[in-house]
Amino acid sequence: MSFEWVQIAYAALTVFIVINYGLIMTAVVQKIGARVGGRYGIPVWQNYIDLVKNIALRSKISHGVMFYLGPVFRLTGGIGLLLFVPTIYGSVMHQNFAFAGDLILALYFVFFGTLGMALGAGESGHPHAAIGVSRGLAQVTAAELPLALAVFAISLQYQTLSITEIVAAQQGGLFNWTLFTNPIATLAAMFALVGTMMRAPFDVVVAPQEIPIGPPTEYHSAYLALMQTNRVLFPVAKTVIYMNLFFGGASNWGEFAVKVFAIYMVSVLVGVVHPRFRVEQSIRFFLKWGLPVGILAILVV
Amino acid sequence: MVSAIFIIAAGLGAGFLIGLLREDQKGAAFTVALAALGFMAWVSVSWFVALASGTAAPQDIITAGTQPPFAINLRMGLAEAGLLSVITLTGLLSLVYMAPALRALGRRALAVLVILVMALSGLVLTRDIFNLFVFFELVVIATGGLVLLSDDKRAVAAGFKYLVVSQIVGILLLIGIIFVYHANGSLNIDDIAAQPMGFTGAGLALFLLLIALVVELKPFPANGWALDIYEAAHPGVSALVSAASATAALYAADKLFAAAGPDWLPLATVLGLVSFLGANLLGLAQRNDRRLLGYSSIGQIGLVLVVVGQRDILGDAYLYVAGGILFTHAVAKAGLYWISGLVPGRDLADWAVLRTNPVLLFAFAGFIAMLLGLPPFAGFYAKWDLAHALAGADRLPVLGLVLLGALIEAGYLFRWFGFALKRPNPVAFPGFSTTGFAVVLAALAGGWGLGFVWGAGSVHGNLLLAAPLLFALAFLVLEPLPAWAKNLLAIAGLLGWVGFRAPGYDPLHLVFALVMLAGGAVILLASFAVKGERFGFYPSAMVMYAGLALLIDAQTSFQFFAAWELLTIGSYFLILRGKESEPHALSYILFSLGGAFAILAGFALASGGLQPFALDNLAAIAEAGLPLAPWVFLLLAIGFLTKTASVGFHIWLPGAHAEAETDVSPMVSGILLKAGLFGLWLLLMHMGRQSLFGVDLTYLLVWIGALSAFIGAVLAIFQEDAKRLLAYSSISQMGYALFGLALMNHLGWLLALMFVINHYVYKSMLFLAIGGVKERTHTKLMYKMGGLITIMPFTFVSVLVGIIAMSGVPPLSGFGGRWVFYNAIMSSEMRLPVVLIFMSGPIAFLYLFRLIHTIFLGQLKDEHRKLKEASGWLLAPQMIFVAFLIGFAILPGMVLQRVDAYIGGHFGSTALAWSGRSITSEFGYWNPVAIMIVIGVIFVIVLALLVAMNRNAQKVKQFNIVFSAERPFKPQTTHFAWNFFAPYRKALGFLEAPHVTRFWGGITDSLHASADFTRRIYTGNGQTYAAQVIVFVVAVYLVVLGGVS
Repeated sequence: MSFEWVQIAYAALTVFIVINYGLIMTAVVQKIGARVGGRYGIPVWQNYIDLVKNIALRSKISHGVMFYLGPVFRLTGGIGLLLFVPTIYGSVMHQNFAFAGDLILALYFVFFGTLGMALGAGESGHPHAAIGVSRGLAQVTAAELPLALAVFAISLQYQTLSITEIVAAQQGGLFNWTLFTNPIATLAAMFALVGTMMRAPFDVVVAPQEIPIGPPTEYHSAYLALMQTNRVLFPVAKTVIYMNLFFGGASNWGEFAVKVFAIYMVSVLVGVVHPRFRVEQSIRFFLKWGLPVGILAILVV
Repeated sequence: MVSAIFIIAAGLGAGFLIGLLREDQKGAAFTVALAALGFMAWVSVSWFVALASGTAAPQDIITAGTQPPFAINLRMGLAEAGLLSVITLTGLLSLVYMAPALRALGRRALAVLVILVMALSGLVLTRDIFNLFVFFELVVIATGGLVLLSDDKRAVAAGFKYLVVSQIVGILLLIGIIFVYHANGSLNIDDIAAQPMGFTGAGLALFLLLIALVVELKPFPANGWALDIYEAAHPGVSALVSAASATAALYAADKLFAAAGPDWLPLATVLGLVSFLGANLLGLAQRNDRRLLGYSSIGQIGLVLVVVGQRDILGDAYLYVAGGILFTHAVAKAGLYWISGLVPGRDLADWAVLRTNPVLLFAFAGFIAMLLGLPPFAGFYAKWDLAHALAGADRLPVLGLVLLGALIEAGYLFRWFGFALKRPNPVAFPGFSTTGFAVVLAALAGGWGLGFVWGAGSVHGNLLLAAPLLFALAFLVLEPLPAWAKNLLAIAGLLGWVGFRAPGYDPLHLVFALVMLAGGAVILLASFAVKGERFGFYPSAMVMYAGLALLIDAQTSFQFFAAWELLTIGSYFLILRGKESEPHALSYILFSLGGAFAILAGFALASGGLQPFALDNLAAIAEAGLPLAPWVFLLLAIGFLTKTASVGFHIWLPGAHAEAETDVSPMVSGILLKAGLFGLWLLLMHMGRQSLFGVDLTYLLVWIGALSAFIGAVLAIFQEDAKRLLAYSSISQMGYALFGLALMNHLGWLLALMFVINHYVYKSMLFLAIGGVKERTHTKLMYKMGGLITIMPFTFVSVLVGIIAMSGVPPLSGFGGRWVFYNAIMSSEMRLPVVLIFMSGPIAFLYLFRLIHTIFLGQLKDEHRKLKEASGWLLAPQMIFVAFLIGFAILPGMVLQRVDAYIGGHFGSTALAWSGRSITSEFGYWNPVAIMIVIGVIFVIVLALLVAMNRNAQKVKQFNIVFSAERPFKPQTTHFAWNFFAPYRKALGFLEAPHVTRFWGGITDSLHASADFTRRIYTGNGQTYAAQVIVFVVAVYLVVLGGVS
């Protein structure tokens, strides 16, 4: 694969589509949650309103350079993750910049935004931000583990680290999906999906009740707008990876919309029926349940 | 040549002459003694030089005009000449050293001293066993007389006990002589040798003779009397007893063991081993310097007795080995006793006064190194040859016990050196006596001289002529120069050497040379920050670098091992420089020496005793499938694993690296650890996979690597001390490298190599950065810092780049390592250890974030508001590293492509495809340039967006935050830093339990406990001691001859 300038435009289009999809999807999910709880819920365009409001906010402060750069790191991480992975299988337009690296790049780039965000939050000097970071990092070490093992298992299964090739191998019918060819690895990965989507029962990191919104505590105005953008973009970008690796990928935007929504709903469904774990509880949970499944996955491949 | 008999004659004559002088002619008496000893020394040394250079032939001296056995004959050979030189020179120097005491005591004491040296010379020269007995009696009486010289009241008691026991020994000897005469009809040693008496018949006669001579060597445990002498006598006398008397007595024993025939050699071996191990074990429990030296003497003489027991296998090398150990011991022990006389207190910690005189401190270090057989001293060559002979003759238990004893000895000697360097100096000290000082220097020069002579006689070449070592030693002379000048020279030397040697290296060696030596030069830039002379730093550092340079150059096992020991010693002294590093340096040197001994044993085993042994020959052993191959592999691997601080051998590292000085931490972490990897690399390259009891040893290494990576990372997140955090992280990183190496595939090795480079860069950078912070804040505890980003922005940047690189997050160079890692495990069969590595990756993220957050972010402390950025010299190398990390991230092929091809050649596998800027493996691809550009462009766009929206954001002050409805005002209560990962501790804190520390602690504790228990046999009662000697003799008799007759 080589680079052509037009890819920049294509990539921008991907980002545009995914951001809008994310803005609406997360609102829809919230609305579903409200309806289940017997409330009316927000309008589906609420996220747009929030964005505009935050950008328009007049009081803007900064705690320092890293504070300023934190949201930039965060959103760069989200967009980069999206663009290092082919979004639509078979589409020339939406291969994005996947030529820069394979699956491993995507796996490690997940941490780029997390790190920058944590640094920015740290410079705010707010203890709640630091507590949130501490909780988040502690939890993610255990939560990502089943995914790492699942990825190793399916790379062994398909004998490649290229996402495109993994998707290609799943074409030709429902039962070619990794979900069916390697259900154990898929199950392991689902542990990680549920664990890293910042939803209950693993949402103590942003713990809305006791430490108002964790790492982003001090962020407001356009900073918060960038982070909100990321918060709708990033879960979708991550879900795209799951979709590509385990659920046959998507060959058009329609399939994309359905699959991403369905996969995302897994974490939502788990979340609405479970109370929240403390961090050490979730670490133990993943080590006790997720890890054995992951190990099984790499042993049976 | 002056006949050797004049040595005896001069001694006797002077003794009588002094006796004839008047009591008040003290000056004349001293002059006569001085002249006599000077003459005796001159004769001995001139014989030694003549015999060694081959200009004279050995001489047999017939007395009374009659042939032996009807008259006594003396022999002057090379061994005798060497021993006489040591004895007479020690006597002469002791005379000078004790001059004030001797003058005060008058002519009798002088006569006794001269007679003692004469009698010792006689012991060496005579070939007649009755004459031997006579000289022994003279030695006993003279020693007894000299012991009374001490101011110590206990000396009287000690002298008396000595006389009692000596009479028992004398009786045994005499009875033995009578029996031998009865059995053999001759008292001449050569006649006895001509008719060997085995265990039957005249066995008892020889046994009595030999055991008497052995007891004269004060073997453990029948030696309580001797220890009291060492402790209570004047140190000058102890020096004489330890250096001269023991040497002569040992030679006497050796003459008779030689005559008795090979059947009796195991007796020497076993008694020697018991003595060496037992004495060193008890040495551990000593607090009194002279008693400790006594134990060490007994141990060393035991070691030489072991060598005597090996004379059947040593052949021509016998004199070289025995002499190397014996002479070095004599010089070092005399030197140490002489220093002891200069030190006012008797507790080991009282030697801290030596700090007032760096030359004496240097001498102290030198003597310890001599005793332990470290390069470049004579004992090193001797021990190397001994180990090879033992391995060649399959006497492996003996080899194992000798090495164990040496390790225990290293334990108490280095602990003592640590006391001298680190303990408070309580006494106001007036200064050292000039004569004493000069005598110590003479001993020191003698020790170095012996090292040179033994080196010249070695088939492996003289270490003291190796250019890197000479360069390092030159810094001893340059010590008075200011630090910056020495630093400049050191940097030039390192770079010059790399430039000179690099063209000849293959890509692998080149990478190691660049990391270790050129890398060392970069770190040395930081040393410009230190003002003054920086006494002791440069010789230590340069010896370490010399060791590294020689290690890379090594072609034979000897060169490798010598280099290994040099870098170990140099780094020990470097580590010991840290303020709180005393226990950690000790633990470092013990693990390192233990590892080094494993390496020595491994090489000796591999060579089968044949020298020189080229490192490439390891491959031949592996290919031949010899049963010893896996054992060689195991021993060498253990040795290297102690250096990489792999889990199980890791407990020395955190303290050693964390407590070292600011610019030393990166040297010992970024550079020194790579020596272990280098060794492992050579090992795996040459020997490949080895199986022991059906277990593939590389599989074991993979597990050790994975466990180290995991445990190191977990422990790092729980540290409050920033440098300890980095130190634990090194354990983890070395685990990754070990893991990669042990995978035994192409990409695994490439992975290890990337860690070699990356770890050097980012760990050096982080240690320098944190060291800089520590120098400003005067603490290493992270929770005491915070908010330093605005005060130390450059340091922050280097920590930021460092942690991004280390965590493996794209786009920096750590990611390349992860990418290679995934590709490597794809082609490996090993799955389970990978789980641990997967876990350690994100855990690394935890401790790295903690490092940057708690120091640079959060709340600035009030006491830090006026701090400044770290010194420019500390920042300079960091900025070089930052630039390198970015460059290496974009163009990894610059460094890796050639190595990749080289490794590929080794495995016969296809290398990675380096097309353009993109790298493709069998499984995936990676384009570092594209990654960098994509991330850069997105970042800039997003940043531009933010600036467009928020350009007028108002910078607020520190406490402009609100939480829990309060406006905070105290940084201490607002900075969330202590126990940062509390939830993690709740979930996985059980991993913190110090099992390994307990294990090693248990071993040292039980050694100490058994030493404490055993030393109760030394009651201080003369009767008990006498009984012990008799029980010892009877017990040995029953064991040796009980089953025969």
